[in-house]
Amino acid sequence: MQELRDLAKKLLLDKQVNAILGYEWDRRGARPAFITEAGDCDRLVFDHRCVQNLAAYLSPRRANIAQLGRLAVVIKACDARAVAGLIRENQLKREDLVLIGVRCGGVVVNPSDSEQLNAENIAPRCVGCEQREPTLADHLVGETQSAPVGKANRDLRLSEIEKLNPEERLSLWTSLLSQCTRCYACRQVCPMCFCERCIADKTQPAWIESSPHSRGNFSWHLTRALHLAGRCVDCGECERACPAGIPLGLLNHKVARIVASRYGYAVSDDPSRETPIGSYRLDDEQEFIA
Amino acid sequence: MSRIGVFICHCGENIGRTVDCARVAQSLGDLPGVVHSVDYKYMCSDPGQVLIKQAIQEKNLDGIVVGACSPHMHEKTFRKAAASAGLNPFLCEMANLREHCSWIHEDRELATEKAIALGRFIVEKIKYNRPLSTIYIPVERRALVIGGGIAGIQAALDIADGGRDVILVEKESSIGGHMSQLSETFPTLDCSQCILTPRMVEVAQHPRIKLLAYSEVESVDGYIGNFQVKIRRKARSVDETKCNGCGECQKNCPNKKIPSEFDQGLGTRTAIYVPFPQAVPNIPVIDRASCALFRGRAKGVKKVVCGKCAEVCGRNAVDFDQQDSFVTEKVGAIVVATGYQLYSIGKSQELDILRGYGEYGYGTIPDVIDGLQFERLASASGPTGGKILRPSDGKEPKKIVFLQCIGSRDPAKGIEYCSKICCMYVAKHTMLYHHKVHDGKAVVFYMDIRAGGKGYDEFVRRAIEESHALYLRGRVSRLSRDGDVIRVQGFDTLSGEPVVINADMVVLATAMRPQPGIAALAQKLSVSYDQHGFLNEAHPKLRPVETNTAGVFLAGACQSPRDIPDSVAMASATASKVLGLFSKELLEREPLIARVDRMTCTGCFHCERVCPYGAVERKTLTDSKGRIIKVIAEVNQGVCQGCGTCQATCPSKSVELDGFTDEQIYAAVNAI
Repeated sequence: MQELRDLAKKLLLDKQVNAILGYEWDRRGARPAFITEAGDCDRLVFDHRCVQNLAAYLSPRRANIAQLGRLAVVIKACDARAVAGLIRENQLKREDLVLIGVRCGGVVVNPSDSEQLNAENIAPRCVGCEQREPTLADHLVGETQSAPVGKANRDLRLSEIEKLNPEERLSLWTSLLSQCTRCYACRQVCPMCFCERCIADKTQPAWIESSPHSRGNFSWHLTRALHLAGRCVDCGECERACPAGIPLGLLNHKVARIVASRYGYAVSDDPSRETPIGSYRLDDEQEFIA
Repeated sequence: MSRIGVFICHCGENIGRTVDCARVAQSLGDLPGVVHSVDYKYMCSDPGQVLIKQAIQEKNLDGIVVGACSPHMHEKTFRKAAASAGLNPFLCEMANLREHCSWIHEDRELATEKAIALGRFIVEKIKYNRPLSTIYIPVERRALVIGGGIAGIQAALDIADGGRDVILVEKESSIGGHMSQLSETFPTLDCSQCILTPRMVEVAQHPRIKLLAYSEVESVDGYIGNFQVKIRRKARSVDETKCNGCGECQKNCPNKKIPSEFDQGLGTRTAIYVPFPQAVPNIPVIDRASCALFRGRAKGVKKVVCGKCAEVCGRNAVDFDQQDSFVTEKVGAIVVATGYQLYSIGKSQELDILRGYGEYGYGTIPDVIDGLQFERLASASGPTGGKILRPSDGKEPKKIVFLQCIGSRDPAKGIEYCSKICCMYVAKHTMLYHHKVHDGKAVVFYMDIRAGGKGYDEFVRRAIEESHALYLRGRVSRLSRDGDVIRVQGFDTLSGEPVVINADMVVLATAMRPQPGIAALAQKLSVSYDQHGFLNEAHPKLRPVETNTAGVFLAGACQSPRDIPDSVAMASATASKVLGLFSKELLEREPLIARVDRMTCTGCFHCERVCPYGAVERKTLTDSKGRIIKVIAEVNQGVCQGCGTCQATCPSKSVELDGFTDEQIYAAVNAI
């Protein structure tokens, strides 16, 4: 932790950056912190309760943050994939940012969860995560971490759902999605949802019905999942932010598996790697046209 | 749109047999906004078109739907009719009641229901149509021809004779291509060089042709009518403006033992050389990999190792310090005529799908040669002066076995297509052999004889009947060296017997493949290619010399295996296409292209990455004080082909395709 604080202090004092975007303690665990004074750097922390993906603050649409000028951001490996995504999709320039990578051995689901990380409370998305540290970072801090161990298994859950027949599957998702109130917290918290005008807000024509009705809910969540195909960084923020408790991570995970099997692609923190949704290949499979 | 006219065509019996056209017209007439709805036997006929024109004028229609055949067939016809009656042509749409309905259904009741639905679909769509106007773009009336083989030469001459300037780019130091290597050509047996070299000279002397030999296309920007092409002029090490082609340098070059590419490795050349005496331009080039001076330089030797060529040059044309240079040319059309290479059948191959033929010992048995090598042996200008002699010991072969379809039509070796020219040139080889070695025996192993073409089959018959070539139907499994001879183990499928022949020489008719580097060139031009690298034409029957990139045309064997008559015909076809394009100062384009909404574009540039035509550009938006607001996508009207890939990809739906906007599609889908 001291390593992180010293680095942050140095970056501010050397005027390399105007602000540090990191985490601090709060009465409900960890929360994002914007540090602009070197003296405040001792507030910075990092451990398994720092679940938030701070890349969500980097969208150029967030004008109040853009006003701060050059930033240093504390990123975990999954957050780095979001930063890479934003660079890849021309929302950020790599040289405008200082990235402080932190080594991570998994996080809990909510920042207010237990002070001890164990197999019971670890976020399901962290189980099987192979990246302990981001490769897209200017500085790397923290101790070496071991691979996270946990009981949750999203693949098992997905294969259970896949075993259901289409009617059962439809009724399962209908009941899950009927909880949605269309508050769009999933969209607001997602680092990859940076459109100036979301398709859900388009009215001429209104492709997605705006009322929280099952038809509109389905088109919203399926469109969102497809727009994140090959782009979702699996930071889990949408599911954490959802007040209705909809397992949105499952949808994203399913799509990620399809992208992996069809295009051999996994989201990486290498901004130069092209994504399936943003590339044109003559040899793409098109057996569905037949 | 509130005053829509609907016109249902019977297409004779084509639609009327399965669809109750009167009922369709009546039913669509009841839709809100439709003020006129009729059916007629032949809507595309003159009286049919008059019906449409009259209705537009009498009922003041502001949109018309023609329920007839595919828009591919008659959209232009009906749009023209609408325009002549004063309606914007893009307010006319077609519902396809023939290919999409009557031709594929049998039940009259159901087909009629479907026809009504299809009509309703378009009626709802047309309510959101906007008048569009034709786009005009200026045309730079000069052409670029890539490749100086017979196809490129023909295309360049035809375009230049048609009165337009041509830039001909050839990557070798001389034009002429593979045809210059051939001895005699089928089916007339006229000497290849005798008919080719006058054309080469014509190219060099034509006032409208700018020949850039020993050059390659580096990059291509722009679009039809307005390409900017950057061309790399490779360093010849000889100043083209000074050299007069006297040949002294070549005579005095001490390094005379370099295998000649022109002679397919059967002869030798010097390090400073012209590939063949009739080269155009007749200016030598230094092969820097073989030249002692450059090899010395590469090793870091300070002393000038050699320099004989420069010493003997009376015009100081040799320039050892010449560097690659670049020129940029603006052209309106590009003809690709890069030709072919022969399938080199050794075991190691650059493509994964190719397997090679280890069992034929090509490259290890010196008297197993390929078709082009045989051409050099038979050529009067070749390394043997036109005598057929074995490469191994210089003896005259008394028995030659020719193998057809080596690589071609052999999916197990990675090539399933027919190379088309081999049946003919093998027959030619047997004749040339017979003419030169009267007591020689030619044996041909073939799969089928494919000799379609004027005088082609007669030619093969002559080889068999007059030149006494023995044709055996079957394949050869192995070639091996047996003392002085080559043991050919094969199978004659007509007699059902295995055959073993002791041959003095074996000639392999290896497959035609596109030139190396074709994929890179295709990518520069945004032209698609098949798994073998042959460039794809826009339509195999109806647009055989065009590509899917407007303004880029194909001639010769870069598109598929072609013989000389085919290549020349194709080249003239491209020339007529190019001259057609250049006949107007402004190019008309259909306005059905993509448009980006500046307000909502986020600048993620997925559209730029998915666009197959490179039509998306980046535009920086600034306020009145020049401060950058954002960088957004913009569509170049000249390049966009209206495929809609960007529209489908844009996550915020900020791209619209005119004529197929979201609103139109949404209304249409809701109407089904």
